[in-house]
Amino acid sequence: METVTPHHFMVLSSLLFGIGFLGVVIRRNLLVLLMSLELMLNGINVALVAFSRSGSNLDGSLFVFFIMTVAAAEVAVGLALLVALYKKRKSIFSEDINLLGN
Amino acid sequence: MILGLELFGMKDSSSGRTGVIAIFFQSVLFVGHLLDYLFWHHSAALNFFSDMISQGLQAEVMRSFFLLSSLLVSIIGHRYLCRKGLKSGEFHHLTMLATAGLMLLCQSNHFLMLFVALETVALCFYTLVAYNRDSAKSLEAGIKYLIFGALSSALLLFGIVLLYGVGANPEAWGASYPGHEFMDPLSFQYLGNLMSENPDNLMLRAGVVLILAGIAFKVGAAPFQIWVPDVYHGSPLPITAFLGVSSKAAGFFVLLNLVNGPFEGMSEFLLPLLGFVATFTIFFGNLAACAQRNVKRMLGLSGVAHAGYLLVAVMASMQFAGDDDRAIWVLFFYLFVYLLASFCVFGVMGLADLPDENEHEFSHYEDLAKKSPWAGFVLVSGIASLAGIPPFAGFIAKLLLISVAYEAKLYLSLTAMVIGVVISIYYYFGWMRAIALPRPASFEDVEDAPDPWAGLSKTGFMKVVLVLLTVASIVLGFWQGPFGDVF
Repeated sequence: METVTPHHFMVLSSLLFGIGFLGVVIRRNLLVLLMSLELMLNGINVALVAFSRSGSNLDGSLFVFFIMTVAAAEVAVGLALLVALYKKRKSIFSEDINLLGN
Repeated sequence: MILGLELFGMKDSSSGRTGVIAIFFQSVLFVGHLLDYLFWHHSAALNFFSDMISQGLQAEVMRSFFLLSSLLVSIIGHRYLCRKGLKSGEFHHLTMLATAGLMLLCQSNHFLMLFVALETVALCFYTLVAYNRDSAKSLEAGIKYLIFGALSSALLLFGIVLLYGVGANPEAWGASYPGHEFMDPLSFQYLGNLMSENPDNLMLRAGVVLILAGIAFKVGAAPFQIWVPDVYHGSPLPITAFLGVSSKAAGFFVLLNLVNGPFEGMSEFLLPLLGFVATFTIFFGNLAACAQRNVKRMLGLSGVAHAGYLLVAVMASMQFAGDDDRAIWVLFFYLFVYLLASFCVFGVMGLADLPDENEHEFSHYEDLAKKSPWAGFVLVSGIASLAGIPPFAGFIAKLLLISVAYEAKLYLSLTAMVIGVVISIYYYFGWMRAIALPRPASFEDVEDAPDPWAGLSKTGFMKVVLVLLTVASIVLGFWQGPFGDVF
């Protein structure tokens, strides 16, 4: 019988991570960009839980909580910055945010 | 114990109305830390919190480095905030919180601790970079830093997860167990054993590369340096200095800890990789810095080049693997010299009264030596130390670095470094010329712009601090003290 091994989870989590990474690189909307970052972190969480289960070691599951907390804090700061920036520039598209440069 | 003091310090300063309390408190902390370090020699390595934190001499030196740097940031920041009319409580609070994070970071002995400390620092920096909320540039720099920072921590995390996956269940990934009963798949020791057992495992290699990529983002090494000029350009001046000195030093200390600790088994695979990164970083940083008109961007890119030189020292420390920690001390010396020189430069830049804080250009510095000899002297000596011109400490630091790289037989990186130093003298010299030499007479047309250096006479305390920094960087050029004994 075919069972789900850590390798399958590895593929899933790499896919999620890769989609998130592409999102960060390609998308121009800063909100979507923040969402893609979250997707990357969630891909990591999937892998962590799967590895933790396959190795019967609880450290990985514990790590997930830390990642979730940090991700929440990061997004809170990110959204706050985004709102402040939107008030100034009336846009959340990265091509309009171009004050810095030569 | 010192950590407790630091936490206490944060609680104390948040209620303080002005930065004076914060400055005072941090200097007490710094002096206390130095005394503690001088009188009770912590020679034995100590481990706390079930091996999550380990204390040693090197970590101790780095901790005093971070305290000194946050003290200087507070001093520069105090004047900056007063002039801009920004609130000061949060600024000093966040600076100290970031410093506490940095201090924890260099003691961490476990990937969970490493991640948490790194994120503490990063979150403080995101806020600090965007501290000047009225300026769209500062906000833009903040959001850019946040996106790139979050991306880099995601890469780092993915690397940690790959290592954890193999560590928790080596057989599933074709690796063999390190002969070790006690299992904590995130601790440095366990993973170090695992990696020296299986240096060819693909998952482990991918994990190591991803972790190094995450750290390369933080130090601004070559393929990951795109955020550096923009963030340096937009952030408030004291924070630019903080980013350039503390954040980079922390990245290097973590890198040093990793490649000489858990990743030691992989050094044959990592050396060429780091060599490529270092060479690319040196060339990119120096060449891009030549093209800049804006001083802050130029300093950011020259910081990238310095990161390249320091990477060569990291490689040398890998070559010297074992008991010989000479390269590590050279790296520390370089970092201290870089701190002194950077704060000289940023301190004087912070004194200028420009309409737009982010647009320091070379032309603003013309005739500074005539308008205010001491500021001109401090600035020139800071730049000269960064460039590595003989009487200053920067020269000795570069010389030590080159000699260490030569002994480690890193000839290719060494060549890149020498070429890089020569290029860097070009753009540093352009700036020095603007300060020191009188302006050519043909440019006497428009002179209605207000003089940015008019308010320079009202700065007694800053003057003392900056002159002290300059004297320190000249003295270190002649006498290297405990650092020189290494040779």
